[in-house]
Amino acid sequence: MPRWAGIQTILTSMPRSFRSRLRALFIFLPVLLLTSCSSGTDWGFPEGVSSVNDASLSLWQGAWIAAGVVGVITLILILWPAVFHRGKKDGPEFPKQTQYNVPVEIAYTIIPFIIVAVLFFYTIERQNIITEKTDTYAHEITVEGFQWSWQFGYPEAGPNAVVTGTPTQPPTLVVPLGERVRYTITSNDVVHGFWIPAFMIQMQNLPGVTNELEFTAKKLGEFPGRCNILCGRNHSQMLFTVRVVTPEEYDAYLETIKGGQA
Amino acid sequence: MTTYAQRPTVTANGSMPTPKGKSFVKWITSTDHKTIGYMYLITSFAWFLIGGVLALVLRAELARPGMQFLSNEQYNQIFTMHGTIMLLMFATPLFVGFANVIMPLQIGAADVAFPRLNMFSYWLFLFGGLMTFAGFLSPGGAASFGWTAYAPLSNSEYSPGIGGDLWLIGLAISGVGTILGGVNFITTIFTMRAPGMTMFRMSIFSWNVLLTSILVLLAFPPLAAAFLGLEADRLYGSHLFDPANGGAMLWQHLFWFFGHPEVYILALPFFGIVTEILPVFSRKPIFGYLGLIAATIAIAALSVSVWAHHMFASGQVLLPFFSFMTFLIGVPTGVKFFNWIGTMWRGHVTFETPMLWVMGFLVTFLFGGLTGIILASPPLDFAVSASYFVVAHFHYVLFGTVVFSMFAGFYFWWPKMTGRMLNERLGKIHFWTLFVGFHLTFLIQHWLGIKGFPRRYADYLPGDGFTFMNTVSTIGSFLLALSMIPFAINIWITRKAPLVGVDDPWGYGSSLEWATSCPPPRHNFLSMPRISSERPAFDLHHPHVKIEGKH
Repeated sequence: MPRWAGIQTILTSMPRSFRSRLRALFIFLPVLLLTSCSSGTDWGFPEGVSSVNDASLSLWQGAWIAAGVVGVITLILILWPAVFHRGKKDGPEFPKQTQYNVPVEIAYTIIPFIIVAVLFFYTIERQNIITEKTDTYAHEITVEGFQWSWQFGYPEAGPNAVVTGTPTQPPTLVVPLGERVRYTITSNDVVHGFWIPAFMIQMQNLPGVTNELEFTAKKLGEFPGRCNILCGRNHSQMLFTVRVVTPEEYDAYLETIKGGQA
Repeated sequence: MTTYAQRPTVTANGSMPTPKGKSFVKWITSTDHKTIGYMYLITSFAWFLIGGVLALVLRAELARPGMQFLSNEQYNQIFTMHGTIMLLMFATPLFVGFANVIMPLQIGAADVAFPRLNMFSYWLFLFGGLMTFAGFLSPGGAASFGWTAYAPLSNSEYSPGIGGDLWLIGLAISGVGTILGGVNFITTIFTMRAPGMTMFRMSIFSWNVLLTSILVLLAFPPLAAAFLGLEADRLYGSHLFDPANGGAMLWQHLFWFFGHPEVYILALPFFGIVTEILPVFSRKPIFGYLGLIAATIAIAALSVSVWAHHMFASGQVLLPFFSFMTFLIGVPTGVKFFNWIGTMWRGHVTFETPMLWVMGFLVTFLFGGLTGIILASPPLDFAVSASYFVVAHFHYVLFGTVVFSMFAGFYFWWPKMTGRMLNERLGKIHFWTLFVGFHLTFLIQHWLGIKGFPRRYADYLPGDGFTFMNTVSTIGSFLLALSMIPFAINIWITRKAPLVGVDDPWGYGSSLEWATSCPPPRHNFLSMPRISSERPAFDLHHPHVKIEGKH
C-alpha cells in the first residue's frame, strides 16, 4: 500500500515523541468532533416549555453526557490498538497470546451494570412525574385522531365545543398557560400518534382504547404537533398546531367555541 | 418371476447440454450446503440492491419539500417494501447464507443435517420473497401499511387490495423457510461436530448461529401465526385484530414479540463474523472466549423480554419492567465490545480489507448502541420515538451490523468460497466511500428527529426547517449507493485472479474452515486436523505459538 507506506516513511523520519503525539492527535480528532456535536445551549430541545420538558430535559442532557463519556472512552479504546498496536503485514512476529484476564473481565461487566442502574434510577424518577394522574387537573381536553386529521374537544365548554381539522386545514389545539390539563387520547379508526416534539411528549391514539395523559404548558407561543404513527395515505398531512395562551384568553376561547367550531 | 417393462431409451436429438445449462441444473438441484449457501448469499444480495434502490427513491423524494415524483400512496408502498426487503428478504436470509457456507466447515461437518430440507428452505425464501414483491404488479400496488403492519390499518377495510395479501402470505411462506433453516442449523450443530469439536471449542460464529437459530424458533412461529391470523381477518372476516376486541394492542404485542428478537437474529450472526475476523488480523486468540459466549447467551435470553420497548408510547405497557430489561441488554452488548477491543489489544494488528470493515462496524455500532440506551428510557423515548431519531438509531444498529459485517465477511471468506482474493485497493475505496456515505446519510437524521420530523412522512413543509438536513441526508445516500460500483468492479476484475492455492491465505486463521482447501472439496475435508482448542487451524499452522492466561 503505497499510501500507507508514504505515511509510514514520514512517521519514521520524525522524532519519536512527536510521532506518538501525532498519533494521539489522530485518535482524539474524531473524539473532539463527537463532543462538539453534542454541545450547544438547548441540546436539541427548547427549555421550560412544558411540565414534561421540565422533567425530561435534564435526563436527556445527563443521558447524553453519560453516553458521550462512555462513547469517547470506548472509541479511544477501539482506535488505540488500531494505531499503537499496529504491525507490519509481512512481519513474522507473534504477540503474547493472552486469552483471559479475569479481573478485567469482571470490571467490564460490572461497570456497565452500574451505569445502566443509575440511568434506570433517574428514568423511573422522571417517568413517574410524567405519567402521574391527578384529580386536581384544571382542564380537560379530548384528542381524537382520525384519517387524516384531529378533533380536539373541550368538554368544559359543552358537548359541541369541538374543533375538527382536515388534511389541508390542520387544526389548532389551544391550551392554557401554567394550568394542568388532562388529555383523553382516542382514535376512531386506525392507530395514530399524538406528538408535540417541543414538549417532549407523545402518546398513541389507539382504537378501542382510551389513553390519558396530563401535563402543563409553560410557555406562550405556537408549537407544531404531528401524527407519528403511520395511519395511511395522508399520514404526513396529519399536522396540528399547539397554541399556548393565557388562562384568560383560554376562557375567552372556550366561550367562542361553545356552539361549535369557531 | 416378475417381469418389468423395458425402460424406453430416450436419445438426445440435436441439443447437447451446454456448460452453462449443466451448471445451472447442478446448482438448482444441489444439496451441497456451500452451493445452497451461495444461492442464499446471491439472492439476498440482489434483494439488498433492490431495497437500496427503493431507499434512493425515498431519499430523492425527501430531498426537497413538496411531492416531486411520487404520490403519497406510492411513497408508503416504497418504504413498506424497503423495510420488508431489508429485514426479511435481505438480512435474515443473509444470515442463513453465511451460516450455510461457513458453519459446517467450522464444526468439521460434511454437510448440514438435512440437505434436502435446506434446499426446500431456499425455495420457500425465494418464492415467498418474489410473492411479496409481486404486490407492485397488482392493481392496487404493493402493501403500504409499513413493515410493522399495525392493525387495524393493515385490515381489509383500511388496506384493501391484493398487495397486502401477497405481502402476508409471501412473508409467511418465506418465514417457514427461515424456521426450517433454524431447525437444520440447530440439529447440525448438536449432532454433526467433528471428533474433538466440543461445544466450548466451537468458533464464536457457529455459537452465534446456534443461538440465532434458537431465537428464530422462538420468534418466527408467532409472526407466522399473526400473519395468518391477519390474513384470516382480511379474507374470511374473522375478528382477531378487531380494535373492539383489543386487536390494536394484540397486534403490536405479537408483532414486536417477533420484532425484537428479530433484531438480534440479524445482529448475532454478524457479531459472529466480526469475532472471526478480529483474531486473524490481530494474531491473537479471542479475548475472553467463555465470557463472550456467556454474553451472547445473555443477549439471546434478554432479547425475548424487551419487545414492549417499541410500544412505550402506547400507554398500555409496564414501562419500568421493559425499560429495565432493555437497559440490562446493554450490559452483555458492552461486554462484547470489550472482548473485541481486548482481542486487538497488544496484538499485531494489520489492516487488510476485512479488518477495515470490522473497524467500520465497531465505530458505527457503538453509536447505534449509545442511542439505544437513550431510547431505553421511556421519558426520552416519549420525546423522540417514531421520529427520524429512531430511523437513524436503527440504521446505525442494523446497517452498522449487517452491512459492514457482510462486506467484512465477503472480503474475508471470498478466497474460501471462490479460491481467489478480492482486490485490496478497490476494497479500501469501497469501504471509505460507503463509510462516508453512510454517516453523511444517517448521522444528521438524529437531529431531524429531535427537531420533530416523524418517520414515514412522505413530505414536509418549507417552513418546518427540515429541508437542509434532508438534502444532506439524500446526498449521503447517493454517495452510499455509489460505493457499490467499486465492489462490482472488484468482483469482475478478480474473477480470473490466480488461485490462492493454500488453505489459509490470510496466514493466521483460527477456525476449522482454514484447515481445508480454497474452495473446499464436495464434502469439505479430505483429512481432519486434531481439534484440541477453539482454534484448530491456527494450532495446525503455528504449532509453536502457545496460549497464555488460560483459565
